[in-house]
This record gives sequence, structure tokens and C-alpha cells, in this order.
Amino acid sequence: MSGKVLVVDDAAFMRVMIKDTLKKNGYEVVAEAANGQEAVKLYQEHQPDLVTMDITMPEMDGIEALKEIRKADGNAKVIMCSAMGQQGMVVQAIQAGAKDFIVKPFQADRVIEAISKVLK
Amino acid sequence: MDTNQYLDMFIDESKEHLQAINDNLLELEKNPKDIDIVKNVFRSAHTIKGMSATMGFEDIANLTHELENVLDQVRNEITEITPEIMDVIFQSVDLLEGMVYSIIEGSDGKANVAPLVEQLKAIASGQQPTAKETKQATSTDNKSDGNVDGSYGHLLDEYQKTVILQSQSTGHNALHISISLSKDCMLKAARVFMIFDALEGLGEVILADPAVEDLEDEKFDLSFELVFLTAESKDLIKGKLVNISEVAEVEIKNIDLTISSEDEDIKADVEPTVSESALDSSKQEQKQPTEKNQAAMKTKPISSKTIRVDIERLDVLMNLFSELVIDRGRLEQIARELGHSELVESVEHMSRISGDLQNLILNMRMVPIEQVFNRFPRMIRDLSKDLNKKVELDIKGADTELDRTVIDEIGDPLVHLLRNSLDHGLESPEERIKKGKPETGKIQLHAYHSGNHVFIEIIDDGNGLDRQKILNKAIERGLLTEEQGNQMSDQQVFMLLFQSGFSTAKVVTDVSGRGVGLDVVRSKIEALSGQVHIESKLGEYTKFQIELPLTLSIIQSMLIRISDEKYAIPLSSIIETAVFSKKDIYLVQGQQVIDFRGHIVPLVSLEKVFAIPRADEVEDDEVSVIVVKKGDKMAGLIVDDFIGQQEIVLKNLGTYLPNVFAISGATILGDGQVALIIDCNALIQ
Repeated sequence: MSGKVLVVDDAAFMRVMIKDTLKKNGYEVVAEAANGQEAVKLYQEHQPDLVTMDITMPEMDGIEALKEIRKADGNAKVIMCSAMGQQGMVVQAIQAGAKDFIVKPFQADRVIEAISKVLK
Repeated sequence: MDTNQYLDMFIDESKEHLQAINDNLLELEKNPKDIDIVKNVFRSAHTIKGMSATMGFEDIANLTHELENVLDQVRNEITEITPEIMDVIFQSVDLLEGMVYSIIEGSDGKANVAPLVEQLKAIASGQQPTAKETKQATSTDNKSDGNVDGSYGHLLDEYQKTVILQSQSTGHNALHISISLSKDCMLKAARVFMIFDALEGLGEVILADPAVEDLEDEKFDLSFELVFLTAESKDLIKGKLVNISEVAEVEIKNIDLTISSEDEDIKADVEPTVSESALDSSKQEQKQPTEKNQAAMKTKPISSKTIRVDIERLDVLMNLFSELVIDRGRLEQIARELGHSELVESVEHMSRISGDLQNLILNMRMVPIEQVFNRFPRMIRDLSKDLNKKVELDIKGADTELDRTVIDEIGDPLVHLLRNSLDHGLESPEERIKKGKPETGKIQLHAYHSGNHVFIEIIDDGNGLDRQKILNKAIERGLLTEEQGNQMSDQQVFMLLFQSGFSTAKVVTDVSGRGVGLDVVRSKIEALSGQVHIESKLGEYTKFQIELPLTLSIIQSMLIRISDEKYAIPLSSIIETAVFSKKDIYLVQGQQVIDFRGHIVPLVSLEKVFAIPRADEVEDDEVSVIVVKKGDKMAGLIVDDFIGQQEIVLKNLGTYLPNVFAISGATILGDGQVALIIDCNALIQ
């Protein structure tokens, strides 16, 4: 499996975690963003195959960023990263075009499962 | 997933967020109506929850989760912040901090969070029960309802059957779909939404069991069933559904109504046509909170461009650089001896550059003292509540920078001094009013640079120090005689507070005055090559001043020679160098002393202390003496020669020589020789 991924999360901790998981499974992390605005900008720069997007972030939250990205690129594939108790946000994200979601705490196989399904 | 490698990051970020929560909570206490602050706290709690759950620190995750629920209600203005709620939140944050710090010390981060979790839950449900709470209570109750005994006809009412029959006549299939989610699926309702979303374009869900509302509220176990009308094939639909994450199993059967049409056991609670409307209403409900969220996002300041570097790497860098400084010294010496002009020139250039480099590296190790000061507002708040005192803490110069090693050590002494000011220094509000002072006391915490030192001052406008009381106590404890006491300056009397076993508190309180008093503070600060001073005026104020060196690794020193050995003495402890005639040395009780500017100063022979061998005895009429100080005490160190002032790099003696008397470390000189660094504090006792 391969593909270019943009990792978006305000916690550097989470970014490193996801990045390592992805790298181990053959994906390439082309960029990392710490908030929604960066995510939108970096998406345009790198045109990744996939975005993992945290929901709760400063500047611009994940849902807003998702909408911006989808506005610019209707085929954008975004997987939301949510925490327990964000059901409503997740549903909203899926309505806005997110392809899937993963729930923190992340399990490596679940992350990879979601990504491989979306990229299929 | 192996999480150890992320532990450092987890700890760093958790600490940052806990600090942010603390700051914001204090702010919130002042402006309980400011929802933006709540949002910030919420976001920090949320991040901690996510990280700790990933790391497997479940107690932290649980507690933050409950905290988040309460905060969520507050930010959505369902619950109003009361002082009681604030206290519970503060306690939770304390416990979280405790857990994070226990993780730093290598434990598993477990703690008994149950009582606080209960309290938080009570707050969340006491005001207004949320969907989450009811969900947790009921999610297990519905297990038996979800199962169908092989047939599905009993689920359908007459109307639905008619619909199915009609659609079958127009070429549609009626499918019975059983879907099981995987066991560890976490946001079940969102999965359900994805499933409905996937089915939407393919046909129509005419029945769901459990009902769609219950599915949305997660009132089901792992599996649920749908009756679906579609023109598509079973396989296509199955393919779509299986490709949704966390869907464990999908079973699709054609519904043939002729089989079980006699079975009229219709469930009362099934509502067939709710799917669309229920989803729609949930969409609308969820819009509101997110919009508020977005407003909150704007308030967080943009973070500066930095990278995190392990402090150990900086230590290594510093160490490598100090090796370079040694070589630079040698090169300078060689160049001087050879007198080769081009060599001298390039060595000079290298010296200048390495000087800049040294400043840069030292600067990299500098951290704003803010890190330490940050936790004080919160501490003062708690303490003043405990002690029923009113106090305002004024912090200035939090951006003053200090070496990281100093920062790590200075926290505890400062805590001690602040507690001391609040507990012993400030009077109770009633007493203050009686004295005509403002009811609210003031504690100032100031930090500033001056020369090669950083000063930290703690000033309270409390009762000040009572010279006579201190003296009485000291005499009572047998630390000195009345006569000695009367001759002492105020400063000297105040410094008695720092003697071990001295405590002026009338009553031993919970806060301070437990005997391990200010002497610990002093020894800690002196261990950092710093000093403490006290200034006070009875009835008006007390000021503690801490003086600290900017850095501990490169120090200014005076090189001296005794016999063939070279030693370095830190400039910070030297008062003066002097030459005395042998006849000016007196013997007092067997101790050699000199009269140094009106003070009787004992002489210390370094030759004897360090047992330095000497080949030939030189008889000289004069002795060279370095007068050093430790607080108010002085001593004269007898040496053979003063070599000169030099910047040296402090290196410790390693693990083989842990506690050599009066030696704090060693340095390598320009000519490659090793010089020991003398710890003057140990020599003056």
C-alpha cells in the first residue's frame, strides 16, 4: 500500500504517532499541519491522496477545514480523527464529505484499515 | 502499539495543557461569565484526553472525559459555573497534574479518580442530564431487544407489508439486513450514520430495529437490523456496507412475505418511517455547538516557530563546546609562544567566533522563568483560601531567562518562600483592617537580570520581621548569647531564620513551619551558587532576594598556584586578594586569623587542607591571601601565587570521585593541565 498523506492534528504527539504508524505501513506523510488553516494551505500545496484530520483544533477546526478542502477539491479524501464523545461532530463531518473516521486512542490496525479502505 | 517512544512528548504537551487549564481557570474565576475561557479549558482537556487514552493512561482519560462533559455543558450554557463547581474542577486538574508527574517519575499514572469522576458526573447530571449520561446507563439494557428469532415478519406492521408488496411488484427487492459492528467500535452512532449514509443513494430504509432514534443514541449493543427497499443487488449493497470501517458482519436476506405473514406479533416501539427525520433533527442540533467552537478557535494565539530539543542533547553540545574552549586556550597559548603573525590572527578570529558561539549555546539553554512562575498564581489562590487570607500576587519579569538547570532547581525554594510570605508574612484581613492597611495583602514576585546574575525577589506587605522575637528565639534555642545577639546587624539577625531548626511560626500550620524551614531553601540556593538576602521593616514589609548566576557550566574564576598545583576559585565567592606580612597573623585559640578591614578573618591553609606536597620549603615574610565569603562569613585562603582571572568550564569529577571535600569540580586549562575548582562554601564553616 502506498499513498501521500497529510496529517493534521494540533498535538505534535498525535502527529508523530500517526506518522509513525503510516510510515511503518508504507504510506508517505508529505506534510503535517497543526490547525485547520495550515491544513487547507498544505492540502493545496501537496495535493495528498489522503488527509487525516483532527476535529478539535485552534484557528480553524477540522470540520471547517474539511469543508474548505472539499470546496476546492471535490475528490478530496479526508478521514476524521475524533475522540470519544464527539459523535455529533463526526456525523457532521461525514455529512460534509469525510470518508471515514478513526477514534482516539488510535489503534494502528484500525488506522490502517480505515486508510486502505478509503484509498481503495 | 508501543507508546514508550512518545512518552516524553506526551509529558511535555500534557504539562503545557495543564498549565493552560490552570491559567484559564484562574481567569475564569475572575470572569465566570466568559464562555471563551471555558472553551479554551475544554480544548486543553480534550487534547489531554486524546493523548492519555492513546498512551493507555486510562485514569487520566476517564477523568478528563468527565471534566470535558462538565465543561461542555458550561460552554453551551447549560450549566452555570459556581464556586463549588470550580473547586471540583480545580481538584480534578490537581489530580491530573499528580498523575502526569507520577508518570514522569516512572509510575503507571494510575490514581483513584473515582470520587472526582462521581462528582463531575453529578454536576453534569444534577443540572441537566445529557445524552451521554443516559446513554451510558442504558446502552447495555437493550441487548435482548435487538435479537430477532430468525424471522422478521413480526417486525413489520400492515402498512410496511403493503409497502413491501407494492415495491416488489415494481421490481424492487425487500432486503433484511443484519449488521454487526466490531466489538471495539467506539462511536457507534457515527458508524450507524455512515451506514445510513451509504444506503441512502441505493434505496430506502423502511424499518430499523432498534428504532433509528435508539441507534442514534447508541441504545443498542453491537448489531441491528434494517428492512431496506432497493433496486440494486444484494451483493452490491453488501460490498458497500462491508467497506465501512468497523462493520464486522453484514448479512442480507431477501424478504419473502408469504413465509411468516401469519405472525402478527408486532413490536409496539417500532417506528418505521423515522430514519430521515431523525437524522435531520440531529443534524440541526449539532450545528450549534460547532459554530461556537469555531469562535473559540480564533482566540488561541498562533504558536511561534520552534523545535523541541531534548535537554540532554544541549548538555552534550555544551560539553563538546567546552572541550573546544579548552583547545582554544591551548591554541592561544601556542600562538603567543610562536609569535607567528598569521597563526595569531586566525586564532584570534577563532576566539571571537567561539565567543559568539558560546553565547548562542548558553542562550539556547536559557528558559524564561515563566515556567516556574506559572504555577504560583494557582498555588497562592489555594493557599489564601486555606488560610482565609486575601492576597494579590503581582508577578513581574516572568520573561527573565535563566539556565535550564537552574530553572529546574529553583521552583521548590520559591514555593517555600512564597508560602512563608503568605503564611507568616501577611496578616489576617481583620488584623490588616485594624492596622489601617488594605484588606487584601500584596505579594510581589519579581525577576530581573543584573550583570551576570539574575535576581528574584519576593516582597510581601505584611507584618515584617521582628528583630527582638527572632533574637529571643535564637537565644532560647541556644544558637547564640544575648550579648552576641545585641551586636548583630538587622540583616544578620534576619539571616538567623535560615539556620537549621529555626522556625518563628507560633503555631505549626499545615502550610509551613514544619521545621524543615528556610535552611533548606538556603542550602538549595547555595548549591546553585546563589545567595539569599532578607530586608524587612517591622509592620511594613519583608523582602527576600535571591541572587543566582546566569549559568552554571562556564564560570569566571581566579586561578591560583600552590606548590606545583593549580586551582580555580569562582570569582563569585571572592571578595578581595591581599598580601599580608607574616607578623600581621595572630593566633586566636590556636586558629590563625588576620585583621581584614576591621573584621577578624580566620585563615585557611589550602596546602594543608588538600595535603599538597612541597619539594622545598620557601621562607617568605609575606603570605598571599584570597578573602572569600559565604553569606556574611569570611575566610582567608593562603596561596602561593595569583595566576589571573580566567573563564573556565566546570566539569564534575564523575562517579568515581563523588564527594571530595571542598572541590566542586575540575577544569582543563589552556596548557592541558587539570585544575581543581575549590568550593569555598565548604571551607567556611
